[in-house]
Amino acid sequence: MPNEHRSLPASAMPEKTESPAIEIIGVSFTYPGSEQPVLNGANLSVAPGSFTAIIGGNGCGKSTLCKLFNGLIPHYYSGDFEGEVKLGGVPSQGQSVAELSRKVGYVYQDFENQLVRPTVLDEACFAPLNYGLPDYRERALRALDLCGLAPLASRFIWELSGGQKHLLALAGALALEPDILVVDEPVSQLDPRHARQVYEVLRRLNRIHGKTVIVIEHHTEFIADYCRDVCLMEQGRVLWKLPVTEALNRLDDLARLGIQPPEATQAAARLAALRGTAAQPLYPVTTGEALRHFGGLLEGPIGEADDRSRATGDTRDIGSTEAGTFGAIGTIDAADAADAIDAIDATVVRDAISAAPTARNPVGGPAEPKPDQRPPAAVIRLSQAALNYRTLRKAEHTVLRGLTLDIAEGERVALVGNNGAGKSSLLRLIAGIARPSGGSVDVLGLDTRSTSVEELSKHVAFVFQNPEDMFIEDSVRKEVAYCLKKRGYPDAGATVETMLRSFRLEELQDRDARLLSGGQQRRVSLAIGAAVRPAVMLLDEPTANLDLATREELLGTLRELERHVRTVLIATHDMQLVAGWATRVIVLHEGRVAADGTAAEVFADPELIRRAGLALTQSMELSAGLGLRPPCAAPQELADRLHRILAEKEAPSHGARPQLV
Amino acid sequence: MELVRNWFNKLSLDRIQLELMNTAYGSGHASLSRLDPRGLLIWYLFFAIMPWFVNSLLVLAGMCLFMVVTTILSRVTPFIIFVLCLGLIGQVGWLFVISLFFGGDISSALPLLKLTLKLSVVSLASITVFSGMDPEKISDGLLALGVPAAFSFSLSYGYRILPVLFEEFRNVLLSYRLRGKAPEHPGLLYWRKGAYYLKLLVYAFFPLMLATAKRSRTTVEALETRGFSYGLKNPAAKKLKLSHLRFQTRDVLFLSGSAAYVAVLFWFG
Repeated sequence: MPNEHRSLPASAMPEKTESPAIEIIGVSFTYPGSEQPVLNGANLSVAPGSFTAIIGGNGCGKSTLCKLFNGLIPHYYSGDFEGEVKLGGVPSQGQSVAELSRKVGYVYQDFENQLVRPTVLDEACFAPLNYGLPDYRERALRALDLCGLAPLASRFIWELSGGQKHLLALAGALALEPDILVVDEPVSQLDPRHARQVYEVLRRLNRIHGKTVIVIEHHTEFIADYCRDVCLMEQGRVLWKLPVTEALNRLDDLARLGIQPPEATQAAARLAALRGTAAQPLYPVTTGEALRHFGGLLEGPIGEADDRSRATGDTRDIGSTEAGTFGAIGTIDAADAADAIDAIDATVVRDAISAAPTARNPVGGPAEPKPDQRPPAAVIRLSQAALNYRTLRKAEHTVLRGLTLDIAEGERVALVGNNGAGKSSLLRLIAGIARPSGGSVDVLGLDTRSTSVEELSKHVAFVFQNPEDMFIEDSVRKEVAYCLKKRGYPDAGATVETMLRSFRLEELQDRDARLLSGGQQRRVSLAIGAAVRPAVMLLDEPTANLDLATREELLGTLRELERHVRTVLIATHDMQLVAGWATRVIVLHEGRVAADGTAAEVFADPELIRRAGLALTQSMELSAGLGLRPPCAAPQELADRLHRILAEKEAPSHGARPQLV
Repeated sequence: MELVRNWFNKLSLDRIQLELMNTAYGSGHASLSRLDPRGLLIWYLFFAIMPWFVNSLLVLAGMCLFMVVTTILSRVTPFIIFVLCLGLIGQVGWLFVISLFFGGDISSALPLLKLTLKLSVVSLASITVFSGMDPEKISDGLLALGVPAAFSFSLSYGYRILPVLFEEFRNVLLSYRLRGKAPEHPGLLYWRKGAYYLKLLVYAFFPLMLATAKRSRTTVEALETRGFSYGLKNPAAKKLKLSHLRFQTRDVLFLSGSAAYVAVLFWFG
C-alpha cells in the first residue's frame, strides 16, 4: 500500500473539537426480562485520541457499557434505558446502530463469530460495501495494511491463525474509518504473543492515526504497557477514571474486585511492606519502571548486569513503541534480556541452577517421584513420531518432525512453545486422536496406530482447550457420569459423588454446563477427565481464557487432580504454571524438541527462550534484568528474594555478592 | 473384509470437509469460473428443467455428453463424482430390481436408462455450476437475478461457516468417542461399527445445534454493527456489490455455443 493513504481524517480531530469523544451521563439500563440493572447511573467521559482500559469484576457491566457507544443499547437490546449518550458532543439518541457504527468500530471477545466472509479481502470490504461506499476496496486495503494483513488479502479465513483472525476483525471494523475503536478482551482468547501483536496495532492506530481506543481488559500488565487511562467499574457504575500509573496503584480497589495488579507492582508493594518502609505514593507498573525502581534500591553492587538492564529499562520506557515486557514478543526484548544475562559470570549461573531448590520439588502435591527409587517405567513412548496434515490446497503440512520421547509414570510434564510449535498435535498423538504419519507412539504398551480412540481413552483422558467442546449432556452431573455409565464402571454413582465434591461442583450439578462461567466450565472438564481414573491425563491450555481469579483457582484444582491421576501432561503458554507445577518441561519448536529438562534449566537458557518464543512472566523478566538466578516465577518470590539481598547488603559483612542468594 | 476396513479408514470427517471445501472454493483455476455467474445460472436453469420434457434418447444422450464435458471443465473432485455415481446406481438399480420382481424383464431397463440419463444431465449440470463457480459468484449471480439479498448472503455465509461447523462437529463426535464405548467386535462387514458411528452422528446433532446457536448471537449483533441490515435496504449498496459483474464475449460464446449444440441435437432427434 502506498503511504499517502496512511493518515486518516481522524488524526486532525483532537485540535478541532474540545468535546469528549464519548460522554455518558447518568445511564441506567436493565436487560429485558431481568430484575437487576446492569448499568446503574454510569457516568463516563472519554477524551478524543485517548487509549482507555475499562476494568472491573465479572458481570460489572463492562461489555454493556461499551455497547452503549454504538447504540446496540438501547436500539438493538430494548430494555429499560435512562440517561444520555453523546458521541463527539452529539446526542446519539435518534441515530440508528448503522449510523453510529460508522463512528464506532467494535471487535467482539469471540471475534471469530464476527467474521462472515470467506476471504480476508472480502471480509474487510464487507462493511463499506454495505454502506454503499464507492471506494470500498481502497478502504479495505488501507485497513488491512494498518493491521499488517495486506500480504494475506487473498487467503481464506479458515487458514488464518487466531491472532490473524483477531487482526482481521479489527480491520473489518477499521474499514469504515471510525474515530473510536472498542475492543473487548483481546488477550483472553489469544496467546500472549498474539495479544501483544494486536496491542501494537492498537497503539499505532492511537498514536499515529489519532483513533480513540477503548479496551475491556483485565490483564493489567498489558494495560500498564499500552493504555493511558483506566476506568474501573463496579456494579454498573464507573467508580473512577485515572491515569494508568495511579489507577494500577489503587491496590485496595483492585484486590476487592479480584483484579491482579501487574507483577512488578505487586512485588514492589510486597517489598515495601517487608522492609517496613513507608508506603510509597506510586509503585512501578511496567517492567522498565520496576527495573529502575529495584535497581535503585539495590544500587551499584549488582554490577555490570544491573547497569545494562537499567539501560534497557530506560529505552523501553521511552521508546515504548517497541515490544513491551514479555520477553517472548519482540526479539528486542529477548535480546536485551540475553545481554543482561550474558554479563553475569557463567559459573555463578551454573552454581545457582544446581542449587536451585524449586526444580525437583514443586509446590504441594503428594505425587512426587522419590529420587532413590528405581527409574519408573515409561508410560508414554514416542519413537520418531511424525505428523502431517493435509490442507485445502492439497498441500501436506508437517507439524511434528520425528519426536523421540519417554515419559515416565508420575511425571508432571509441561509442553511449551509458541503457537504452531506442535503442542496440541503432540497431545492428540498421545491420545490416539491423530495417528502418527511416521514412527510410532506407545501408551502403556498399546500402539496408538492399532488401538481405537475408545480403547485408548480408558487409560488416557484428554481435556480440550475449550471446555465447551466437551459438553454433550444437559447437566453437569450427567456430563461427569456419562463415561462411567456407558462403560459400565462399578460404583459409578459413588465416583460421580466424589468427583463432584472434589471439584466443587455439587451446587452446580443440575445446571447445563454450557451456561456456566469459564472457570466453572474448566472444573467440569477436569472432573469429566478425572472420573475414569485414567493413568495419563492430557490438558490443552487449561489456563487459557481464564480471568486471573479463576486461574488461581485452577492451580488449586490441579493439585486436587494429582490425587486422582499420576501422570499429567499440560500444553501451556503460562510460565507461572510451568515454574510452579511441572517436574519436567519439554520445549517444542517447529515440530521438534528444542529442550527437555527442569523448569530451572529451561528458564536459565535465554537463547532457547528467545528461539522458542516463550512468554516469560513479568517476575521472570525482572529477575533476568536484575541478574537474579534462577529467575523468580512469582512476584512474592521476587520480593522475598530482593528483601533478603537488601537485608544482607545492609549487614556489613556480606555486601559483596548478592547474586549468590 | 479388508476392503471394508480400508473404507472405514478413508472415510474420515477431515477428508469429507477437505473435499467439500475443495469443491466449493478450489475452483479458482477452472475455466468455467471466468464466466459471468448470471449467464451460467440461466444456462443451469435450462439444463435442470429441459431434460424432464424431452423424450428422445438421442437428445438426452447428447445433453449428457455435453454435461460430462462441462463437468470435466469445472474440475470437480473425484469424491463428488463418486457420490453421484453411488446415488444414480443406487436409485435406478433399485428400481430395476423392483421392476424385475413385479413381472418386468430386461425391456424395463430402457425406460430406466432414460430416467438415468435425465437424472445425470440434471446432476451433472448442478455439479458444473456449483463446482465451477465459488459460492461468492453464485451468491452474486443470484442477487443480480433478483433473489433477495438476505437469501444470497446466507448462501455464501453458509459456505463460510462450513469449516467452523465441521470443527465443532468433529469435537462433539470426538467427545462421544473419548467417553463412549465402541462395540467390541466389528461384526459382519463391520455392521456393528457402522451402526455405532451412525448412532453417534445422530447423537451429535443436538450438542452441535446448541453450540451453533450460542455462536450466532455474536454474529447477528456483529452484522448489525457492520451495516448489513442497512445495506439490505440500500439499492446503492446492491449496485456497488454487483458492479464487478461483466457480460463478456466469452459468456456470449459459451451461451450461444450451448444453444447451437442443443438446437442441433433437437434437429437430429
